[in-house]
Amino acid sequence: MKQHPLCSDCEEKVTPMDLPIPSGLKKEWSVCESRRQFLGRAGKVLGWASLATLFGEASFRHVTFASGNNSQAGFGGNNLGLPHFAPKAKRAIYLFMSGAPPQVDLFDYKPNLAAQFDKDMPASVRGNQQLTGMTAGQARFPVAPAHWPFSQHGQTGTWISDLLPYTARMVDDLTLIKSTNTDAINHEPAIMLMNTGNMNSGKPCLGAWLAYGLGSMNDNLPTFVVLQTKTNPKENNQPVSSRLWSSGFLSSEFAGVGLRSVGDPVLYLQDPAGVDRDVRRKMLDAVEEINRQTLAEVGDPETNSRIAQYEMAFRMQSSVPELTDLSKEPESTWELYGVEAKEPGTFAYNCLLARRMAERGVRFTQIYKRGWDVHDNVVGNLPVLCHETDLGCYALVTDLKRRGLLDDTLVIWAGEFGRTVYSQGGLSQENYGRDHHPRCFTTWMTGAGVRPGVTFGETDDYSYNVVKDPVHVRDFNATILHCLGIDHNKFTYEFQGLHQKLTSPVAAFVVQGILA
Amino acid sequence: MSVAAKVVDAAGDVLRRARLIPRVWIGAVCAGVLIVLLPLFFPLDGKSHADWLQFLGRFHPLLVHLPIGLIVLLPLLEFAGTRRQSLREAAGFVLQIALATCVAAIVFGLLLAYGSGEIGTTVTRHMRGGIVLAIELLLCLSVRRSWLAGQQSRSYFILLGVVLITLAWTAHHGGSLTHGSDYLTRYMPPTLKRFLAPSAVSSHPNSFFARHINTVLDTKCVACHGTNKEQGGLRLDSYESLMAGGKDGIVITPRNPDGSLLLKKVTLPPTDPHFMPAEGRAPLTPDEIARIRAWVLQGASPDASSVPGIFIAEDHEEAPPPVGDYSALMGEIRQMQQSQGAKLVPVSANPSDGLILRTTDVAASFDDAQLANFQRFAPFIVEAELGRTAVTDAGVETLSQFKSLRALHLEGTAISGRTLARLSSLSQLTYLNLSATKVTSDTVAPLKSIPNLRHVYLFNTPAEPASAAEIDLRSTQ
Repeated sequence: MKQHPLCSDCEEKVTPMDLPIPSGLKKEWSVCESRRQFLGRAGKVLGWASLATLFGEASFRHVTFASGNNSQAGFGGNNLGLPHFAPKAKRAIYLFMSGAPPQVDLFDYKPNLAAQFDKDMPASVRGNQQLTGMTAGQARFPVAPAHWPFSQHGQTGTWISDLLPYTARMVDDLTLIKSTNTDAINHEPAIMLMNTGNMNSGKPCLGAWLAYGLGSMNDNLPTFVVLQTKTNPKENNQPVSSRLWSSGFLSSEFAGVGLRSVGDPVLYLQDPAGVDRDVRRKMLDAVEEINRQTLAEVGDPETNSRIAQYEMAFRMQSSVPELTDLSKEPESTWELYGVEAKEPGTFAYNCLLARRMAERGVRFTQIYKRGWDVHDNVVGNLPVLCHETDLGCYALVTDLKRRGLLDDTLVIWAGEFGRTVYSQGGLSQENYGRDHHPRCFTTWMTGAGVRPGVTFGETDDYSYNVVKDPVHVRDFNATILHCLGIDHNKFTYEFQGLHQKLTSPVAAFVVQGILA
Repeated sequence: MSVAAKVVDAAGDVLRRARLIPRVWIGAVCAGVLIVLLPLFFPLDGKSHADWLQFLGRFHPLLVHLPIGLIVLLPLLEFAGTRRQSLREAAGFVLQIALATCVAAIVFGLLLAYGSGEIGTTVTRHMRGGIVLAIELLLCLSVRRSWLAGQQSRSYFILLGVVLITLAWTAHHGGSLTHGSDYLTRYMPPTLKRFLAPSAVSSHPNSFFARHINTVLDTKCVACHGTNKEQGGLRLDSYESLMAGGKDGIVITPRNPDGSLLLKKVTLPPTDPHFMPAEGRAPLTPDEIARIRAWVLQGASPDASSVPGIFIAEDHEEAPPPVGDYSALMGEIRQMQQSQGAKLVPVSANPSDGLILRTTDVAASFDDAQLANFQRFAPFIVEAELGRTAVTDAGVETLSQFKSLRALHLEGTAISGRTLARLSSLSQLTYLNLSATKVTSDTVAPLKSIPNLRHVYLFNTPAEPASAAEIDLRSTQ
């Protein structure tokens, strides 16, 4: 019986010459079988092999780059060359007011508006701006002046709303930016732009960039931590998703680690009953060995980050309980933060945790407070929101200051955009609403790298357009990077054929006017 | 005799005499007159002209190096020619080519200056130098004939010497135009610098302008807006010329930084065609812009010694001296990164910024003995993060050897403060955190002798002042 030429289970040796291929090709092959041909091809193969090694090294270098500037890789081991220059700030704490606080009611004092009550905002102020679907259909845009009075504070005499009595106390330490502006008018794109420099998801956020570029200061805690404040169901809470602290195209170990506000701060961190620390260690060692085999076989850098994450989790089993154990806090802490800070998940509690993490070498902490989306009932909701956050902000800055941490920590307070001066829905003496407003909003920074007591930028009489020193979100982020010793233009990561950076391909400028 | 006859007679006389002069001299004089007249065709009036003029003119730097090389080669060939006749013949050829390229370089140089509208004493000197050089080369050509004939033995070589001196002088001015007038002297050792004439001294050497504004303009602007060049009719080398402005009007409006043209130009996006400094020269740093802005806001005074609200570090403290290069120890430092334990971390990519001693990972077990292990690296350590470590008073004594320290964290340690006096050897120290320790107001008192120490944190200690946690030791002195 004739064997199939491809059957491997055969007595006779089968050569490709036996295969049913055109005879012309076979002829060509037989010519190729000369010694001369062999040597010639062998030479070329050597050339290709060496070329492949060269390229291979290049792609390998890329893999090490992806592992960033963490201390395990060892500085100098990577070629990031960061920080580019001696930084003023080693770490940063970002208080994110999700939902967009109304700048007109809190910081951007417009005394002339009182006389404009319920008058139509001039069309020229709005220009050809496209509004959101929520107010685009409104017949008129009546001016709603701030419901609460403003007063001057500090040696700088800065005007602050009476809704923020504690923020007002530290106004001499703050750098107020009244001219922050963004491109997006809806929450999701705007909050993505603020955090990742891009409205679409898939890009690394500020914290991930910092974790990647500057690395960890404490191997026992995550480099980038996200704290969410418990939501108040009476407030209009916009969703906050893990896209905002994603590492995008960077290795996933640089993504923010969320600490939960309820129950265990980190789920499943505690060993189950019957598993002690030694058993856990042995198990992790075994898993690591298997993972290393996988890495050797497949070479996927993601395996590396998985190994790192297991190790981090093991160390966090002891470091996180210590971090969240507030029993040793002196009485002065509770005097400053208020007893509310004893309750996990409150904004004050998160601020206290942020200070404790700053002490313990966490590079970047981001606290999310939701609920600022006051489309209606500003008069009802805003005092609550201010009450929830005002003391925490003040306590954090004051605590950092008295403990000598503000000398190398940058604190940032921002939302994703501002709110309109005109009322959304009905306007009365008692109440009003405010729609999204991307053209101007107020943010503040304080601490290392920025000049205290400065109010930067100006808006027009309606707090609608920036008239002086605009600070785009990209400029805002470039300035934050600058405070941390990073030149945002040089801090890039090659991905999809672009030198990707936090400040996106559009030119961004460090805001020189607020630098210390 | 009629006038006409007289004229004809005189002309004949001239012609007769002229016949006595070799024809080459006539040619030389004619060519020389033409070269001298060249600038009349391209008067340097400070206005820029057609772009194509400048386009051609920009080949001047390329062309100009040809005659330079040839002229330097000439005396070499003449000397070598005493041995080998063929080289002497070559020298004649080289001289002709040198003259031709020299004239070409002058023409292109004039196109450049005329086209771009550059004026200034250096430009003028450079131009005149070039013309003189060309005429000297012409003379060389003429004298060389008689020298070859053995009539004049010395004058040709004297002329060659003069040519070389003229060349050096002209080339120096050309170099000053492209690289700035202080190109040679900027990094000259101070001992040599003393022999140079002192530069113009401001009438108020201690004013804010002299110390913080003039210095910026000097390094960033004067190359194009000074004695060498006066781009846009603007000179920025003195207070008077700065305030006088240029062709576009005044550039500094006192008390109005946003209305000041100079500030507008330096703060444009770098891609803007009007951005200054132009042509890829180093832009002003944020700090420099900030101080100019502040100075203008305050009134742009020539003699005020300080600007209210503006703190300039070097006014108050010496910039910390750069620490040495620790690259040689890099192997060890890197090894430390990979193992568990305290780490040395560079402040930045720039080695002269020093190292940070970081113990956060292993704070609880980091003690005096381990600290002593780092003494070898002490010259490079500018910051020691020893918060919540097991370091004690004995460790503080070790720290007194860390002379480069600028920031020292000892918060939450068991130190009593007994040995804090030893830290007075740390002349660079500006930040000291003693929060949550047992130090008392008596034990921290010796810290007042540390000259640069400005931030001392005593929160949660017996020494904590009643009002503020941070005490300003300098103000209490």
